[in-house]
Amino acid sequence: MVPWLTLLMFSPLVGVLLLSFVPHNRVKLLRCIGIATALLPLLLALFVYANANVGGQENNLTERYNWISIPLNIEAMQPLLQSWSFQIDYHLSIGGLSLPLVVMTAIVTAMAAWASLTIRQRVKSYYIWFLLLEVGMLGVFMARDLFLFFLFFEWTLVPMFFLIGIWGFAKREKAANRFLVYNGLGSALLLIAFLILTVTAGLAVHGEAGASPYLVYSGDLEQIIRQLGDAQSFVNTLPGPASSFNPFYLSEAWRTIAFILLLVAFGIKLPIFPFHTWMLRVHMEAPTPVVMLHSGVLLKMGAYGLIQFGVALLPQSFASWSTVLAIIGLVNIVYGALLAFVQKELRLLLAYSSISHMGFVLLGIAAMNDIGLQGAVLQMVSHGFISALFFLVVGCLLERTGTSRIDELGGLAKRLPFLSAVLLLAGLASLGLPGLSGFMAELLSLLGLYGQLPWAAIAGGIGIILSAVYVLRGVLEITYGPMDKRFAQLKGTQAVEAVPAIVLTLAIILIGVMPTFVTMPVEQGIEHIIHSIQAGR
Amino acid sequence: MSSMLASYLTLAAILFCIGLYGVLTKRSAVIVLLSIELMLNAVNLNLIAFSKYGVVPSLKGQVFSLFSIAIAAAEVAVGIAILIALYRNRGTTNVDEFNELRN
Amino acid sequence: MESVYAQYVWAVPIFPLLTFLLLTLARSAAKGAAAFVGVGSSLIACVLSILILLERLTANTDVYTVNFDWLSFGAVQFELGYELTNLNALMLVIVTVVSTLVNLYAKGYMADDERQSVFFAYIGLFTFSMLGLVLSPNLLQLYIFWELVGVCSFLLIGFWYERSSARAAAKKAFIMTRIGDVGLLIAILILFWHMPNHALDFQTIAQVFASADTMSQYGISAGLATWIASLIFLGAIGKSGQFPLHTWLPDAMEGPTPISALIHAATMVAAGVYLVARAFDIFQVSQTALLIVASVGGFTAIFAATIAIAQRDMKRILAYSTVSQLGYMMLALGLGAVTAGIFHLFTHAFFKALLFLGAGSVIHAVHTQNIFQIDGRGHNMKITAWTFAIGALALSGVPPLSGFWSKDAILSVAWESNKLLFVVGIITAFLTAFYMSRLFFMAFTGASALSTSETAVEASGAADGARRKPDASSIVHKETESTIHESPAVMTIPLIVLAILAVVAGFVYTPINSGFETWLTGEAAGDHTNWIVIILSTIVALSGIGLGYVVYGPNGVREDRWSSVLKPLYHLIERKYYVDELYTLFFVYPLKVLGKVLYVFDRYIIDGVVRCTASCTVQFGKLFTRVQNGQLQSYGLLSLYGFSALLLLLLLLGKGLW
Repeated sequence: MVPWLTLLMFSPLVGVLLLSFVPHNRVKLLRCIGIATALLPLLLALFVYANANVGGQENNLTERYNWISIPLNIEAMQPLLQSWSFQIDYHLSIGGLSLPLVVMTAIVTAMAAWASLTIRQRVKSYYIWFLLLEVGMLGVFMARDLFLFFLFFEWTLVPMFFLIGIWGFAKREKAANRFLVYNGLGSALLLIAFLILTVTAGLAVHGEAGASPYLVYSGDLEQIIRQLGDAQSFVNTLPGPASSFNPFYLSEAWRTIAFILLLVAFGIKLPIFPFHTWMLRVHMEAPTPVVMLHSGVLLKMGAYGLIQFGVALLPQSFASWSTVLAIIGLVNIVYGALLAFVQKELRLLLAYSSISHMGFVLLGIAAMNDIGLQGAVLQMVSHGFISALFFLVVGCLLERTGTSRIDELGGLAKRLPFLSAVLLLAGLASLGLPGLSGFMAELLSLLGLYGQLPWAAIAGGIGIILSAVYVLRGVLEITYGPMDKRFAQLKGTQAVEAVPAIVLTLAIILIGVMPTFVTMPVEQGIEHIIHSIQAGR
Repeated sequence: MSSMLASYLTLAAILFCIGLYGVLTKRSAVIVLLSIELMLNAVNLNLIAFSKYGVVPSLKGQVFSLFSIAIAAAEVAVGIAILIALYRNRGTTNVDEFNELRN
Repeated sequence: MESVYAQYVWAVPIFPLLTFLLLTLARSAAKGAAAFVGVGSSLIACVLSILILLERLTANTDVYTVNFDWLSFGAVQFELGYELTNLNALMLVIVTVVSTLVNLYAKGYMADDERQSVFFAYIGLFTFSMLGLVLSPNLLQLYIFWELVGVCSFLLIGFWYERSSARAAAKKAFIMTRIGDVGLLIAILILFWHMPNHALDFQTIAQVFASADTMSQYGISAGLATWIASLIFLGAIGKSGQFPLHTWLPDAMEGPTPISALIHAATMVAAGVYLVARAFDIFQVSQTALLIVASVGGFTAIFAATIAIAQRDMKRILAYSTVSQLGYMMLALGLGAVTAGIFHLFTHAFFKALLFLGAGSVIHAVHTQNIFQIDGRGHNMKITAWTFAIGALALSGVPPLSGFWSKDAILSVAWESNKLLFVVGIITAFLTAFYMSRLFFMAFTGASALSTSETAVEASGAADGARRKPDASSIVHKETESTIHESPAVMTIPLIVLAILAVVAGFVYTPINSGFETWLTGEAAGDHTNWIVIILSTIVALSGIGLGYVVYGPNGVREDRWSSVLKPLYHLIERKYYVDELYTLFFVYPLKVLGKVLYVFDRYIIDGVVRCTASCTVQFGKLFTRVQNGQLQSYGLLSLYGFSALLLLLLLLGKGLW
């Protein structure tokens, strides 16, 4: 059996290896290798997608190996236990929501690698960090072990830190520091939550009846989900006579603590309202291909974590806090929209619009039904493509005009018809035009939410109006209107630049017309979440 | 017996405290070195006292103190050498002015 | 009888879609061929939809539905498909006929524009979306196409994107209609959760809302039904430019004139009326909702008609007239007369398209839209003038032109059910006749030209402030007087065809011939002959035209006479009741201020807290570097203190260990 997932995840390392043997002044060759190896995971991801969809659930690609096993001090427990250890598995899977996100990551990364032609300094190390980042991102979306997930979650910080800090704009170092500190803080909380879960629900007993058992702590996601959901499932594994008492069953208070820790940890990444200021700086200071990845993929890690490692683990807590989630979502939507409305800098406008769009993800999660969760996942995928497309265009604009300030640009449709059309399309997609990807995402989120909290869904409708207001203001000020004389000599779009724009556009249209591509794999992934919520009702 | 031990230990403690006081307060590096020697000697005194009046009397303590005297001598030699080097460089033996650890 | 053409109804929207795809891919390469592709494909669609209509008129009037799965998971199932009823067969014909004629007309009108292919591509996309909207078997699909139609309108209003005004108008159109769209969206949310099996198709809606019993069976209270209906109507308000969301429609006249004819007069704006008619089952169960529809419609009708009196821009007058006529249709629907409303939509589509295309023909020749600057120069364009006259008469409701019959149908319903609304309707009819004659006489009767033009231009110059230079325009006008000639045949042929339709379309549904109602709604037609109404409306129309002739005719008393007498009132309606200004004051401005305040909050409070935390940490760290002064002796002293403290602690607490 071919370990497709491992191949997929580590395929960018081939590029790293090749790049390290090329002298740093052969820029063209370096770029070719960088782009070519970013295409490699894309091909593998498409292959995996095509295979995973055949035959349904059984065929979900999964890989699992024992990786690290740390023996714990056994002396104290000697007669009782045979062994006592802490175990981390190398467990990958692309079931459920991972699949669309993995494909989205592969596409966006390949396109961002292509868009990185604008990077002119230290190309070699740029592409090396870039490809390392891709490994981390793919790992995050595939890991099925709490600690493996945490490892990749952290992994992404390092390349990102250097990509912002070395190749960014004027205040890049400050932005990189801010990024690292904030995300480090989030990770710390995440680790605490994971440890709480591991030492309780992560405890498993192996061994035959009569013999002294093995005791294993592990971060295995499936096992933790199972044991959190059902007190009995741990008791059943005990070798002794059946009892109904599970000393490790997490109490309501601890669950709430874990819920809050997870919400804040992933909320920083998402970002949710008071924790958003770091990403404004990243949007402003990072080089645009890196922002494509940041806004397109890295923010989705927060949303993905919230569903796969939050809702899936503690569905009851999420369900009972759904009103709070909905309110946070609404605040995100309205706050982001209002601030986007007054920005004079396109990049900041887009940053605030990301906050607003992530609000819909929270609404979808707050809905706590399959429609809402589908909407949330669709919104993640859709926003990944849309914001990547946006920043691709921003990169082209910066390259030509040296500015992305809305009040300095204007009338670009005359000289740059293609870029303007793409910008307009991205804008229309982001304000939720049917036929493009954003529409179904927002519709499903609201539709799901209405079943749970009708007032919140109706309030969310305001977000749809506001998004039209700020998107059109930003996009039309730049593309429409009288042209500034300074821009009369601008270079038209070259074929090389057009390719990523076309690919991303097609992806947006494809998902808009056939949302099934995303909803079908997700349907199986959220099945058990829905079951456990319904069981609790 | 134990009263003998106590008086030795008291003497050693007094010596140690005088040495410590000197190390912490004196400006001149030479005095500081001398004070360190005092503290070392206090330790030696303890070792010998315990080797004679301790719970398990043994010659090991006296052997240890011989070692320690030898090492103290070596240490003073090295310390004085450093001091002379410092004095040549900085023209002073005032400990307050030696804050290379900070910078 | 087997239906032959109905099964090919899916092909009707496909042809315009192909136009769009083809022209988008070909872009500038298509250039000259673009118009042919546009005209050709819309002609095929038009012929096909006429065949379908004829078939349904003669034989098979069953509802023909095809559905397929689009998106399904869990218990949710969204379907796409198409449904053919008599109502949407009629709409298909309206849309495709007007679209074909407009395509043909645009071939002449846009001949000099270098972005021709983009223009025809947009029209293709629009026609596709509009047809998709009409054929939708369920509310969700309708909403999808509803939005697409909106975006096409947006793109076409902003077609001349270099003008700041076009940009502003496009933005405004999109945002104003979006407000309505959200209403429709929320209605869909509500229906989705209350309908059996989450079904959103019109057939299920009809079943559920058939009576109070069936409604309560599915747990829908009367209050909820009112809410649903009102929210759907909110969507219609946005799209059909009803008060208070009407302000975008007059501004939308920034787009090329063929677009004004196609989208902002004949088809898209009628989508709101169509929506209410399509979802009428929901409205029917709620008297409150019907009353809202009727009163909003009635108010809009008279409100927009008064504004039209004082406008100077030819297309704006027509735009306000459109708003007013759409109000009429809503009025009819609100009174429960679906047939009358749809009938007015049908006739209005032809004569309003005619009027817009006629106006475009004039504008194309004289290069101004201000009727005081055109000032009679239109009389050199014979075909345009005559066809425009027919359109104006039809709109004014002069018998036996089409507008008369449809207006009469509405007014007679109003006479029977609500006298107040009847009065509103009849006053609107008078105002309509008055402003149309004002428009016609100012633009096309030459006698008023040279002698009085100075005063008129001065009057307009004074009113408009410094926006224009009165002298320059009158000089230009004198010079070009002789160069004005009739538009080319591609532009006049659509005018003639539409003029014929504007004359005859009314005979479809007259007091003598009321089979149309049975055909459209499936209910037996009542006798709606009402001689009082017929006579009254004729008198009103003629007197409106008469008054217009007195004021604006060749020997008229001129506008400044009455505008100076009623100065405050004139200003009020000239400035459109200051609705735009009120919106700026109450919505745009507060939103901006709120955004700015929040931005300050974000920068200084939220980020401030973050920075404060960061700098606190740094300061704290600095405090402790003070201790590290590099002097061995202080380190030693500190460790002595530490050791003593530990010792003390051990003495006090750790007695057991000692």
